[in-house]
Amino acid sequence: MSVDNSSSLKKIIRFARLQPKPLLIGIAILVPFLIVAMVPSLIAPHSPLAIMDVPFLPPSKTHLLGTDEIGRDLMSRVIYAARADIFVSLSAALIAFIVGTIFGLFSGYVGGRIDTLIMRLVDVFLSFPTIILALFLIVIFGRSEWVQICAIALVMAPSMARFSRGTGLVLRKRGYVEASQISGASTVHIVRSHILPNSMPTLLVAASVLSASAILIASSLSYLGLGAQPPDPSWGNMLRASFSFVYQAPWYGVGPGICVTSVASAYVLIGEGLRRKFGRQRSIMSSAKSLASL
Amino acid sequence: MVSSGSELTSNVRSLRSGLFRVVPIVIGRLVQVVFVLVAVSILTFVILSAIPGSVIDARIGPLPNFSPEERERIVASLTKQLGLDQPLWKQYVLWLRQVIQGDFGYTYQGLRVTDLIAQRFGPTVELGLVSVIGGLFGSLIVSLIAFRTRFRVMRGGIQGVMTLLLVMPAFWLGLILVLVIAVKFDFLPSGGFEAFGDGPGDHFKFLVLPAMTLALPLTALFFRYLYSGLRDTENLPFVVASRARGLSERSVVYRHILPNAILPTITVIGLVVGSLISGLVVVETVFSWPGLGSLLVKSVEVQDYGTVSAIVLITATLYVITAFFVDVIYEIVDPRTRRRI
Repeated sequence: MSVDNSSSLKKIIRFARLQPKPLLIGIAILVPFLIVAMVPSLIAPHSPLAIMDVPFLPPSKTHLLGTDEIGRDLMSRVIYAARADIFVSLSAALIAFIVGTIFGLFSGYVGGRIDTLIMRLVDVFLSFPTIILALFLIVIFGRSEWVQICAIALVMAPSMARFSRGTGLVLRKRGYVEASQISGASTVHIVRSHILPNSMPTLLVAASVLSASAILIASSLSYLGLGAQPPDPSWGNMLRASFSFVYQAPWYGVGPGICVTSVASAYVLIGEGLRRKFGRQRSIMSSAKSLASL
Repeated sequence: MVSSGSELTSNVRSLRSGLFRVVPIVIGRLVQVVFVLVAVSILTFVILSAIPGSVIDARIGPLPNFSPEERERIVASLTKQLGLDQPLWKQYVLWLRQVIQGDFGYTYQGLRVTDLIAQRFGPTVELGLVSVIGGLFGSLIVSLIAFRTRFRVMRGGIQGVMTLLLVMPAFWLGLILVLVIAVKFDFLPSGGFEAFGDGPGDHFKFLVLPAMTLALPLTALFFRYLYSGLRDTENLPFVVASRARGLSERSVVYRHILPNAILPTITVIGLVVGSLISGLVVVETVFSWPGLGSLLVKSVEVQDYGTVSAIVLITATLYVITAFFVDVIYEIVDPRTRRRI
């Protein structure tokens, strides 16, 4: 049994050593955050809302990140905030990925008028600066978590659509696609079983960049007061609060700030790793572009 | 794709005949711009009219001195007067006519939205321009250092820092700058504004931190393009040839590689305007800079939909128009792309 275990462990290690370094580092950063986001109550030392101590205690053994303006434990608040931020950004990225990919691949594959129509629509959505459009939608449709998710997804889906359209355009001229067309396969079938699987590597790279943008947009929105509403913690609203107390408690915003940056860079590293793994050069430009449209 | 340094200068010389050829492309793009702008305005109008009463609220404000019944009567008469009982497309045409004339209605405090925006426009443009120029200069310096250095560690370090800057949210970078520069060393104020007329020195003191917060990620973004441009250009035949002719390294880099490597960076400027506007919203809030971004956030807080939609519309329009100009400039400067569009 133990021999078996160690050999499978060795197999995992051997497999991991073959993967690109950025991918491994990215996963190593991301996984702890995901665990924390899933079970915050097991890890956090205190409740995020309970007033534990005097306000503005500096970091110490009892309060690893200090306490906030009404004496709540900042460490616990940072841990609970992970749930809100990571849940919102991942669901938004997932929705944007699915919607964008479907529209983009069909648009690229079918071409013609439908392509023109979809791409002009994409142009219109891309003409709004991301945060401003998301902010507008949230203001109008309410501040619930699902509105946030949909708003973030809506501002990111167009760039995903434009990206996947490119891969659709490239793949439609491949031999196996033409063979499938001749044998009478439907458009839906061709896109689902030929175009989608073959563009998956590039799409996954785009998806990781999308997730990075999603966490940045989500935290910016909650910084602007449109995310989780106080007293519920989010990294963005904690950073907002910390600005009012830079002189009394300079350490206040450090924890949440490091968390946002780590999660975002983990996604970027994973994307870079995937790109190296699949060896596609063209995604460099697109990843820089998607980040630019933040 | 291969071009030579001398070809580029001859391109500049034949700029006038080039301009003539560009005209049809520009007109084509212009039609596209008009289409996008109309669609943007329709989208804004549709979202705005999704909230009941918002159009009327935007015109009259809360009317604090009237009783509910009186208010209702005014709203009813205004509904008729503003044509809100008419079909949606007629309302849109009416609304668009006012918007084009620069009439965005009134805020809840009874101020004209147009006046408010005009007042906030200057500081935003100033901050944005200073940041873009700062970012361009920063990236030029940083990418030339990374390109010319003999030390791999230095190059790797610069690339690492630039990537980190790209994934840092503006408010976190801003907080770091505030903590280090304003709190620890007390060099600069941590936020606020002073009109240029009241004291030019103080005005720039307040400008430095927000401009840095915006310029650093822009530096990182331009760096990506400029650095890869430099690396790509380095191996082109004309560079090899000029090295073979025995030109000094300095002249090869600054007179042959750099001018060709800068071109792709121009397209990024258009791309950057969108992220710049989003960044301005956050940074102006961080440093209480009295621009459009902080006005937007404040209007969101008090649910002043009229002002919010006006700013959304204006920023989107600015974005589209800037992208258009960048495309046109790129067409003129680099004829190689002409067949593409």
